[in-house]
Amino acid sequence: MRKKLGSLLVIAVFAAAACSSSATPSPAPTAPPPTSAVTSQATAVATPASTAVEGGNMVYALNGDMVLADPSLVSDGNSLFVEAQVVQGLLGLQPGTISTVIPVLAAALPTVSADGLTYTFTLRTGINFQDGTPFNADAVVYNYNRWQNYPPGDLQTNAYYYGAVFGGFGTASNVASVTAPDEQTVVITLKTPQSNFELASTLAVFGIQSPTALKAGNADTTPISSNKYAQGELPQGQDMVGTGPFIFKEWVPGDHITIVKNPNYWDAANAALLNQVTFKPIGDSTATLQALQSNGVDAAFSISPLDVKTAQSSGLTIIDRGSSCNQLNLDMNQSVGGKATIYANKNVRLAVSEAVNKQSYVDAFYSGLGKVPTGFMPPATTGFKAETLPAYSVSQAKADLAASSVTGSALNIDLYYPSNVVRPYMPDPKGIATAIANDLTAIGFTVNLKTEDWHGGYVSDATSGKFALYLFGWTCDWAGADNFLYTAWFGWSGGKPNPQFGWNNATANQDMLQALQATTPDAANALWGQVQDLLAQDLPVVPIVNSQPPGAYTSKVHGYVGASNGIEYLNTVWLSQ
Amino acid sequence: MARFIVRRLLVAIPVLFGLSVILFLFLRLLPGGGPAEAILGQHATPQLVAQITATEGLDKPLYVQYLNYVGRLLHGDFGASFIDGREVAATFLIKFPATVELTIGALIFAVGLGIPLGRLAARHPNSWIDGIVTVISLFGISIPVFVLGYTLAFIFGVELHWLPTFGQLDPRLPINPVTHFAIIDAILAGHWYVIDAVAHLILPSIALGTIPLAVFTRITRASVIEVSNEDYVRTARAKGLTDRRVNDRHIMRNAWLPVTTVIGLETGALLAGAVLTETVFSWNGVGSWVVSSIQNHDYIVVQSLILIFATIFLTVNLIVDVGYAFLNPRIRYS
Repeated sequence: MRKKLGSLLVIAVFAAAACSSSATPSPAPTAPPPTSAVTSQATAVATPASTAVEGGNMVYALNGDMVLADPSLVSDGNSLFVEAQVVQGLLGLQPGTISTVIPVLAAALPTVSADGLTYTFTLRTGINFQDGTPFNADAVVYNYNRWQNYPPGDLQTNAYYYGAVFGGFGTASNVASVTAPDEQTVVITLKTPQSNFELASTLAVFGIQSPTALKAGNADTTPISSNKYAQGELPQGQDMVGTGPFIFKEWVPGDHITIVKNPNYWDAANAALLNQVTFKPIGDSTATLQALQSNGVDAAFSISPLDVKTAQSSGLTIIDRGSSCNQLNLDMNQSVGGKATIYANKNVRLAVSEAVNKQSYVDAFYSGLGKVPTGFMPPATTGFKAETLPAYSVSQAKADLAASSVTGSALNIDLYYPSNVVRPYMPDPKGIATAIANDLTAIGFTVNLKTEDWHGGYVSDATSGKFALYLFGWTCDWAGADNFLYTAWFGWSGGKPNPQFGWNNATANQDMLQALQATTPDAANALWGQVQDLLAQDLPVVPIVNSQPPGAYTSKVHGYVGASNGIEYLNTVWLSQ
Repeated sequence: MARFIVRRLLVAIPVLFGLSVILFLFLRLLPGGGPAEAILGQHATPQLVAQITATEGLDKPLYVQYLNYVGRLLHGDFGASFIDGREVAATFLIKFPATVELTIGALIFAVGLGIPLGRLAARHPNSWIDGIVTVISLFGISIPVFVLGYTLAFIFGVELHWLPTFGQLDPRLPINPVTHFAIIDAILAGHWYVIDAVAHLILPSIALGTIPLAVFTRITRASVIEVSNEDYVRTARAKGLTDRRVNDRHIMRNAWLPVTTVIGLETGALLAGAVLTETVFSWNGVGSWVVSSIQNHDYIVVQSLILIFATIFLTVNLIVDVGYAFLNPRIRYS
């Protein structure tokens, strides 16, 4: 009996250990990554190629399944991570960076007309798609026209990014024409200048697929439920056919996705070292960690930040994701339900900004994988401008709160945080909210912590302006100022400020609109800089953290180049035996 | 018997109809908008939400949506997921074999261990053996499945490296998913890959089978003790029959009835999805699918799956009831 009790105690200890590594859902996928960029320019290989071992089958844990096998029809990070290994676009990002645009299938960056309307691409020669058909200007034109002409219905709604980047489909799109004057030249003409064109074009959704395969696979079939190409049901070589270093082999929904080495890859110096990669969706963070610890998987795109120390002590390597591409804010809505909140008072916003001890949150919740922001978006973002943000000072915060003349029951405030979710920038929403509440209490607020399910109303209630003080963040789609400042947060809609903030600053909105249509990067960045100055003046939000979402790999894995926007290419990865 | 079966099948129709109506309404009352928000996440704008809502027909009156759904259902069309556009029936055929396999594994564990333990406890009532069996039962019922699952994975996977902690097969093995029953596919692939498939089944089967194990143990114990006190058992012993003969011919044959009922009910419940176990062990079955579909407000998937589960549950119950007649010829349905 004593032995049995002893066993029970051992099991209880193990249970506690297992649970302590977080039983919360793993973070939702990071924002979708751009296209593959495994070019001769892209030489960010972490280990000298001479020591690399070719061959092997790597098992890679994703935190969810692929949604569709056609990159133009997806907008989730899991799908695009897989598809970026197979399909490439004209432009991509330098591996390991979030905003350095490089040519991939284009031979060089495009030449841009003085009016910012015409982009002329010269294509690389001698490239074949994985089905053996040639990559040329006609193929590019076919793909761009295909996206632009998606009919209303599920094809358009799934092709979210095309609509978002170009303002819609068909005649509503900002693309006037895509032409091929010769086999190696593509000219894309826009209706109005679009300063984010090059950076947004690095998204994997703009990957060029074989027109032959698209036609043979009836890839434009709608509804998508009967679209075998999009469902990934066609045989190898006929589905998701791109030019990348890996070929799509097989997808068993919910179980695995397999890609294999492209033996005829056009850039031999950067061909895949692995024979095969098997992606395994594991939706639970503790299960992911255990799969890594037991060598069931070789690498995992994400683990919980709360598991970082456990992972390191188990001999796992945390993926170095470099510059952050996300930001968590404490949003202060100045108008809820048509009524001004206490946050309409600038002194209150200033007091809140000074009361929060951001560094303590970074230390407590991010395992060293986060930094206190120096502005209103991540520093490596194109168009970023560092601002002088209010420093942590309880005494100054108290003084500013007193100066606001807000007293009594008005200091009894609600602070919302999401439940049943972990975001890359928010590993422990309740913990962070509790820490913020304690800091606000210290300067005189009475804080009521409130929560809603992330999937069950938090996002819609926050974005429709039902909360006054709440946690919200963004992971970049592309690392441009427009993506954070305009698309995600402060862009006006229907001539009105975003109800999420109630920040009624027409000058900032005008600057943003002008920046979107600027004809040169310098002009755009100057305008984005002005917007950030206005933000620093008005403080509609308190930037809390820029984090690097952690992933991990075992000691067998080498050559992994991480990036915090999730744009990671596996051609450089190899496994030691 | 035939009339009984037909009557039971007819009774199932209003049950399934009622369930479909309740489900249909309940799912649409979930907070947080519809599938459009789930599809778009933080990208959701009022315009895009309206566009998806219209595309998916969610802007139509509820009764129209319901009638459309039922109409398709009567034609054998379970609909398609809002999220990935994949036919529910097609995905079900991929995922259900995994759940069946896990259910069988859990039942082998629970029945194979639970009934002998129950018999053992019943043969030594109120002894230290009975006490140990009781403790095991209480442990099995009390410990949360996810705690047990993580613990098993930690001990046998992470620390000892004896057993795999996730999935149905080692992804590195070249096994084609022919039937989606991992063990059968592994046998078809040859090379003794079946050992890998069985190894993957062990931990989730134990985690999932622990509660049924406790239930079977308690029911078997109670049933055997009750039957052992029946007059005909005393008579059999008085006639000089051996213990073994009394046990096999008179006690167990009668004690099987309640045990069978419980096994049937548990089988139905297990087939309806082992949500936590499938999540902990990344088992590609229907349980985790239901959960993610609920989170995504993927109404069509949830509606169809729950109706399928209900049908399975009713069918298993019917089979159990019919099985009574064969186990005990004194029972006849009319």
